[in-house]
Amino acid sequence: MRRFGDIVAVDGVDLAVQEGEIFGFLGPNGAGKSTTVRMLTTLLRPTGGRAVVAGFDVATHPAEVRKRIGVALQDAAIDPLMTGNELLDLQAVLYGIDRSRARLRAGELLERVGLTAAAHRRVGTYSGGMRRRLDLALALMHEPVVLFLDEPTTGLDPMSRLTLWEEVRYLNKELGTTVLLTTQYLEEADQLADRIAIIDNGRIVREGIPRELKAQVGAPTLLVAVPDEQRERAREVLVAFGDIRPTAEGTLGVGLRDGAEGIAMVVRSLDQAGIRLHRMELNEPSLDDVFAEATGHSLEGARSRLLEPAAGAPPTKGRRRRGGRK
Amino acid sequence: MTAALGEDRTYGVASDPRTATVIAFMVKRSLIRIRRIPAAFLPSLAMPVFQLIAFGGAFAGALAYAKINQALDWYVPLSCLQGAAFGAMGLAFATVNDLRTGFFDRLRMAPGGRAATVYGPLAASMVRAIIPLVIVSAVGFIGGAALPGGVLGLLTLTAAALGVAFCASGFGLGLALRMRTLAAATLTQFAIFFALFLSTAQMPLDFIQGWVKPIARLNPMTNVLRLAREGFLGEVTWQDTWGGLLAIAILGTLTTVYAVRGLRSFDK
Amino acid sequence: MTVALARQPIHEDLHQSAVRQTLALARRSVLGRLRQPAALAPSFVFPLFFAALSASSYSRVKNAPGFPKVDSFLQFGLAAAVMQGAFFGATSAAADLAVDIEQGFWERLMTSPVHRTSIVIGRLMSSLVVGALQATVFMGFLAALGVRVRSGPIGIVSIVVSASLVSLAMSTLMSTFAIKTGSPEVVQGMFPLVFVLMFLSSTFMPRELMHGWFRHVVDVNPISYLAEGMRGFVIERELSGWRFFEAIAIPSIGCVLALLLCLRALRRRLAQM
Repeated sequence: MRRFGDIVAVDGVDLAVQEGEIFGFLGPNGAGKSTTVRMLTTLLRPTGGRAVVAGFDVATHPAEVRKRIGVALQDAAIDPLMTGNELLDLQAVLYGIDRSRARLRAGELLERVGLTAAAHRRVGTYSGGMRRRLDLALALMHEPVVLFLDEPTTGLDPMSRLTLWEEVRYLNKELGTTVLLTTQYLEEADQLADRIAIIDNGRIVREGIPRELKAQVGAPTLLVAVPDEQRERAREVLVAFGDIRPTAEGTLGVGLRDGAEGIAMVVRSLDQAGIRLHRMELNEPSLDDVFAEATGHSLEGARSRLLEPAAGAPPTKGRRRRGGRK
Repeated sequence: MTAALGEDRTYGVASDPRTATVIAFMVKRSLIRIRRIPAAFLPSLAMPVFQLIAFGGAFAGALAYAKINQALDWYVPLSCLQGAAFGAMGLAFATVNDLRTGFFDRLRMAPGGRAATVYGPLAASMVRAIIPLVIVSAVGFIGGAALPGGVLGLLTLTAAALGVAFCASGFGLGLALRMRTLAAATLTQFAIFFALFLSTAQMPLDFIQGWVKPIARLNPMTNVLRLAREGFLGEVTWQDTWGGLLAIAILGTLTTVYAVRGLRSFDK
Repeated sequence: MTVALARQPIHEDLHQSAVRQTLALARRSVLGRLRQPAALAPSFVFPLFFAALSASSYSRVKNAPGFPKVDSFLQFGLAAAVMQGAFFGATSAAADLAVDIEQGFWERLMTSPVHRTSIVIGRLMSSLVVGALQATVFMGFLAALGVRVRSGPIGIVSIVVSASLVSLAMSTLMSTFAIKTGSPEVVQGMFPLVFVLMFLSSTFMPRELMHGWFRHVVDVNPISYLAEGMRGFVIERELSGWRFFEAIAIPSIGCVLALLLCLRALRRRLAQM
């Protein structure tokens, strides 16, 4: 538990991460992810409760915990005036690694994150992706037992994101490193995590294996796009087939009680009600559905694919209107 | 909250780092920064030199009246101390900057955290103080400053300058860790300014009259200035030395505690 | 490509109104500075602190041979306080201007119908007012501590006028750097240099107590004469034409020169855009 004055930032957080797994910690900004990670990484003292990392209590044995964890921080906090090599040297010194071993290790890590050529340059000249990769190398310098990745890909381009994911998988599979990953991207958690926990308003609202969590949500979601003026009528029709689910703006979502077989009935009923159907899409339950079902709202950034514009522009009013005129 | 992550394994290569190694690296980092952005360091070098020349000229007559015939003998030590203290402001700036970028968290999380965040910067400020010390003294000697106290006089000056650098940066660091804004650097600057000038910075104690006199008499900086100046004004004697050393020891302890407690305020 | 936007209305009275615009801008600029007490405070507090500090540190120096006859060192230091205030204030005014430039003030200036020099001169006028205010405050404060201006009301008025001229000249000079570089850091960084110029003069100590090469520097530094002129009104009973020349004419010449430099910098900057 963590209290800031009267505000309890994180309270109902109970989690157990197994050795050797990748654990995804999901939630919107301000949900308490960072506070939890800061406590687990000994940056913040818990005001109550107990947290054991790599076998040691963070409150009573922070020094032992520190030796066993590696942390890649949000925004890759590095001194832009120093070079990659200098930062790796610093990391080795801070973690008491002897010089010859540190040299070897640094060379190996630079090779693996593809920064060998840039290691002599000041970090200030690095791109965002290079900084994150260096950050990862720094976190791995002392071969940590538990690796914390706090929003490792926020702000990265898709290519850099894929490279980082690959690296995390390698670490976990080949070296057996336990990984705790926080992210606001559901896809990231889905791709990487063996198990996930969803945090909302300082509480863990779901925890488990992604596949099982999705199955628990059950019914697949049917997304339909209709003209704005017919939205309310359509909603009345859809209620008959299952729960209305929160979706991205401009679409209606219904959890089909009868599964995919129900689609034909839905189409017929909408037609009978005189509702023009622009598009429809059937989504098997995703982590977003798990999230929506658990918290009652959709996760920021996890937009339905149905109305995601091809060019990457946000769905605008104009775009919808044009659709309506067809 | 309960959380359990991973098991303890004899895996990994981290061990408790040697404090001296961490401190040495932080000193190196500070010097790297000076080399890469010299513009940020230049004022703390230029100001004491400017001040030495300006004061040495403007107040020479006033000092002569107080029987100090070579004004530079009086002002070289003062400017050295000021140059040393200026570094503390730079240190406060650097700390606030590290806090803002999150680099500070990286240091704090490491097994060598305490050494890296407090003792390292304190040591760095002392190493940095040597640069203005050398340059200001050189300008002073070229200008005609004398050193009847000889090598011992240089030693007492160095002790005073390093002491001032240590105390001022302990204070600046403590302030920066508590305020966490750049205003901490400005405040440090003001504090140093008042501590220096409400002492015998300008005139010998016997010549001061009025409100400054009781303050200067109590101000530990008066003792430190005496320590810094003794070799320039005559032979080095224990009588002129012990007060300054004591003042540095007491102030140094207090400011180190202040800085370490500032770091602890992060956990709460 | 042809672009036809609404035609710009032609202000034929633009030049007649330049004076009015300048005054309006000056008023806004004065209020702007008075409303930032935190930015203004150092230029009031530091000179008074220095005056009090040196009054105590150097009180016995007034008996030194060659020192002019004064009631107290504080009386001697009044002019120094006024000068420092003007120098301090001018730097902060110019730094304000640099901030404006940095934040896109010039783009707005280009598109506004207001005469370009009006904006700069309007801003500089605030230094005139702040300089006068500072001198008045300092004299009032030191009067409460028993400092007399020996030459009486004419002397007091002359000091106020002199202070506002010094303030104007300095802020114009510093604004030249602000316009040239557009960087508040550079303007603030110039300050120590300006301060050193003041120390290389007889502002803080009488020339009679200075010797050697330093004395030569002080002898050719116009700031020495300016300070001595202002100080003359404080410590001399008789008003002399020479003192008026030193205290009023020197800063006036400074204003004209600085203004020429400043307007040239302004023209160059606008030409670059």
